[in-house]
Amino acid sequence: MGELRYEISQDAYIKLVLHAQKHKAAAVNGVLIGRVSPRNDDVVEVTDSVPLFHSHLGLLPNLEISLILIEEHYSSQGLFIVGYFHANERYDDAELNGVAKNIGDHICRYFPQAAVLLLDSKKLEVLPKKIDQRPVMQLYIRDASKNWKLVGSDSGSRLVTKEPAANTLLLDYITTEKWQGIVDFDDHLDDLSKDWLNPELFK
Amino acid sequence: MVTKTEETQLNRLENQVDNGGGGAWEYLCLVKKLKVRRPEKVLKHGLSILNDPKKRSSLGPDEWTLYEQVSIAAMDCQCLDVAKDCIKLLQKKFPESKRVGRLEAILLEAKGLWAEAEKAYSGLLEDNPLDQVNSVLHKRRVSIAKAQGDYSGAIDLLNKYLEIFMADHDAWRELAEIYISLQMYKQAGFCYEELILSQPTVPLHHLAYADVLYTLGGLENLQTAKKYYASTIDLTGGKNTRALFGLCLCTSAIAQLTKGRNKEDKEGPELQSLAAAALEKDYKQRAPGKLPLLASALRSLKIS
Repeated sequence: MGELRYEISQDAYIKLVLHAQKHKAAAVNGVLIGRVSPRNDDVVEVTDSVPLFHSHLGLLPNLEISLILIEEHYSSQGLFIVGYFHANERYDDAELNGVAKNIGDHICRYFPQAAVLLLDSKKLEVLPKKIDQRPVMQLYIRDASKNWKLVGSDSGSRLVTKEPAANTLLLDYITTEKWQGIVDFDDHLDDLSKDWLNPELFK
Repeated sequence: MVTKTEETQLNRLENQVDNGGGGAWEYLCLVKKLKVRRPEKVLKHGLSILNDPKKRSSLGPDEWTLYEQVSIAAMDCQCLDVAKDCIKLLQKKFPESKRVGRLEAILLEAKGLWAEAEKAYSGLLEDNPLDQVNSVLHKRRVSIAKAQGDYSGAIDLLNKYLEIFMADHDAWRELAEIYISLQMYKQAGFCYEELILSQPTVPLHHLAYADVLYTLGGLENLQTAKKYYASTIDLTGGKNTRALFGLCLCTSAIAQLTKGRNKEDKEGPELQSLAAAALEKDYKQRAPGKLPLLASALRSLKIS
């Protein structure tokens, strides 16, 4: 297996960042949906994402239920849970914590090429001043000893957005406060009529 | 903690004010009463009152509590200049006030000047550290530790605080949440036990405790978790989706662990069937599109 690369669609990418924006004072997480690229074994295509929780990220029951329901939904489309997204509570916390690693490990059991993405708050803050096409996320991959390792400065080429102008669109959505419309699994559990698929978000 | 009715009322009022329908003062009072965190709205609507001399004077002495509320919201939004201006006005009006002194210390926190903020709080606490009025100052010191990523320091301070102010439910919940984020589930469980003892009819405590026990795992914890999911369902009239799911998960996990044991150890499936039926009914009513997903999820839990 060569070096794995991850290509994330603009919708999947923006949804996750907007979720973090909606709950600025909390840690949030989500899952990445996709598949190995049919054209290239070394590329994982992330075609969608589902925002999960903004409280008690470290507790299992709601996570288990969400994963069961999400897997059920996407498997009928030939898609899988291919990774995990995490945004820390504090702006200057750039560490991947135990909760994130454990959830990443769990996802790896079903999809060994799974990646963990950590929101890079500092990169996000600088974006409006200097536009950059690189995603405002850090990429973590498991090494041979199953430890989560940050993919260094060359992660610029190993994690890309499918659409190059994704960050421009992201900034626009942040300015117009589009994050108000994001629904996560916590919201769904509080009110079943709220749809964690966010079907109307980008219409 | 806010009930659904209170949240609906708040959101309705917020929409009304946002769309020019008036009621800004009622909104601000409700936010204060419910102790919710909506800094951008408080800042926007609070300033619209304070910057209008007629509206401001119609508040009478409440003008000053509004300055306090707006200054805190401003700091939460990192609009430190606005906060400074509000605090200056309050200092002029109440020159010896410890309450204003607290705001100055929070401003130091907002600026990230942790050592100075810590000094300010210690100074304010010197005279009366055990006074109920000063409990907020102790908690600000916890938030300084937390903001710097010093979780063990925050835990230490919170535990010391709770030895004195043991009826502070918010503090117990904060401590539990820090423990959960550090995956210290047993300690989190202890916090929820305290909360259940002092507020036995609040379903959220039962639910959180059940979630923690499920996460800890092991047959005994799962069996206890099941009891607390059941009590949550009881206290909420069967309306709590998380507890219904939790009950199904517990039953499934317990069945896995007791596979091959004697019949006496096994539990009857009635409780799980009832929970599953309640979930199906709710989904049918509120999210019919997701009903097939729910059905197959429940099937996979029963089979395992």
